[in-house]
Amino acid sequence: MIRYILLSLLLGGIIGYLNNCWGFHVIEVFVSDYLFNFALVALLFVMGIIFGVDKESTERFKKAGFRILVVPFAIALGSITGGLISGFLLSINPVASMAVCAGYGWYTLAGPLNGQLFGMEWGALGFTVNFLRELLTIATVSLSIKIDKYAPIAMGGATAMDTTLPVIVRYCGSDALITAFLSGFILSLIAPFTITLIATLI
Amino acid sequence: MDLLTILTPLVAGVALGYFLRKRRKLSLNKATFWIIIILIFSLGFSMGSNNKLLISFPHVGLKTIVMLFLTLFFSIIFVKIARKVVNLQ
Repeated sequence: MIRYILLSLLLGGIIGYLNNCWGFHVIEVFVSDYLFNFALVALLFVMGIIFGVDKESTERFKKAGFRILVVPFAIALGSITGGLISGFLLSINPVASMAVCAGYGWYTLAGPLNGQLFGMEWGALGFTVNFLRELLTIATVSLSIKIDKYAPIAMGGATAMDTTLPVIVRYCGSDALITAFLSGFILSLIAPFTITLIATLI
Repeated sequence: MDLLTILTPLVAGVALGYFLRKRRKLSLNKATFWIIIILIFSLGFSMGSNNKLLISFPHVGLKTIVMLFLTLFFSIIFVKIARKVVNLQ
């Protein structure tokens, strides 16, 4: 999956660059505005269905107890705090940097959505910051587990429900499965809300 | 796009998914895959055709590293504190 995503990003970048050199403005408007917005809305809709149809997650919550919710909310708060502080540290727009970090690792959403809300530079940041978050979670799991039992879950953010779940379970043990999955599920669900709500702060 | 345009499809999707729970199998893997490919392609396209962005690309690196590490640092710390507070093993 990652291979195809990076390939389509690269291909899009090259074709976009060439198109800009040749000056086909109509194509640029079609892809950058219509196709982009259409695909973003379609992704949110399809992900909504996937969240809504998931009966098991509701049952898992009942079993695990709602105390488990502190984990995703601490991760969300931590990510947004990290974004706020880096905004001030780098003297860039702190609202936009909070929104970028509120992708919680879901780069296929955070990239396009932040690009749409704050401009393409933030789209690029949204993609890279969240893409590397997923990559770093997998790469450093054997080290991060030494900091805290839940550190890999905290690092994985929204990706803890799918792409980083196998690695987390392998290192944190099978009892971390439900926590990791539910934390990732909640973070994926709230990511579009937090990004757009942060954007209204401007 | 405003708040409503972004959140309406998500909420509508969740509602529709909730009603589809009784149905047997619903596979959206293929649809999701192609939507993501189209979305990321157009993201790449928009970035590639933006000259100002391409010039500022070297600065993106430092910003990415700072944002990434602070995000991870605070996520881990906050989870550690939250676990202590509610006594989650």
